[in-house]
Amino acid sequence: METIVNSRISQVLKGDQNAYGEIVELYKDKIFQLCYRMLGNRHEAEDIAQEAFIRAYINIHSFNQNKKFSSWIYRIATNLCIDRIRKKKPDYFLDAEVPGTDGLNMYSQIASETSLPEEELESLELQETVQKEIAKLPEKYRTVIVLKYIEELSLNEISEILDLPLGTVKTRMHRGREALRQQLRNV
Amino acid sequence: MSCPDKFVEYMHDFLDEDIAPENERELRAHLQTCQACETHFKELKKAVAFVQSTAHVKAPDHFTAGVMAALPKERKKVEVNR
Repeated sequence: METIVNSRISQVLKGDQNAYGEIVELYKDKIFQLCYRMLGNRHEAEDIAQEAFIRAYINIHSFNQNKKFSSWIYRIATNLCIDRIRKKKPDYFLDAEVPGTDGLNMYSQIASETSLPEEELESLELQETVQKEIAKLPEKYRTVIVLKYIEELSLNEISEILDLPLGTVKTRMHRGREALRQQLRNV
Repeated sequence: MSCPDKFVEYMHDFLDEDIAPENERELRAHLQTCQACETHFKELKKAVAFVQSTAHVKAPDHFTAGVMAALPKERKKVEVNR
């Protein structure tokens, strides 16, 4: 896979923009999933995942082709997710009226955004519980837990993606698991 | 729990698949005799299984087209100038 990616990157560097589409195709599901599990919202996940690919494209000349492209794009996406989580503040209230809608509030907005077909097949309730519990984790624990148990990456890859020593990744993993354990006692 | 902290450390090392064989033996022996630690370990494994039970999600259909449409056009100019 890395060979294909590197040859596409060389084409992109020569000015062939379309070659980038193939790179996006290869990684879009992984990156979208990461963003979705980090942010808990499809719209935001799509925004941030697209932003990650756009940034990677803009900075493609600075990518070191001796390294794994997947780690690089994961890093860009992870940093964007963390920025988004940090900036996110409860700047609206669910029961506040939406301007110009004559009585509609945010609850009615949410209702229209419910399940998608592929998820209906799963136990929706369990899926929502998992997502909610992941979202409760502080962002630095959430990141390692999602990368390890949802993206199924090794601790070494996670250490490379986050640019953190392996020992720090392990400590966060331990604390993240302990935090989840505490939360799940009540589920 | 009055057990030494090292047992919880060992549990995490085990879950990271990075535990020294002698520590694993010590942990296993301890879990046989300590109800509290056994429960702790089970809860940790449950937490992991819980996160792993999430369904895999896929990017929306139009995702790649959306990225491609949003890319800056400058590279095409570079090509023209060549």
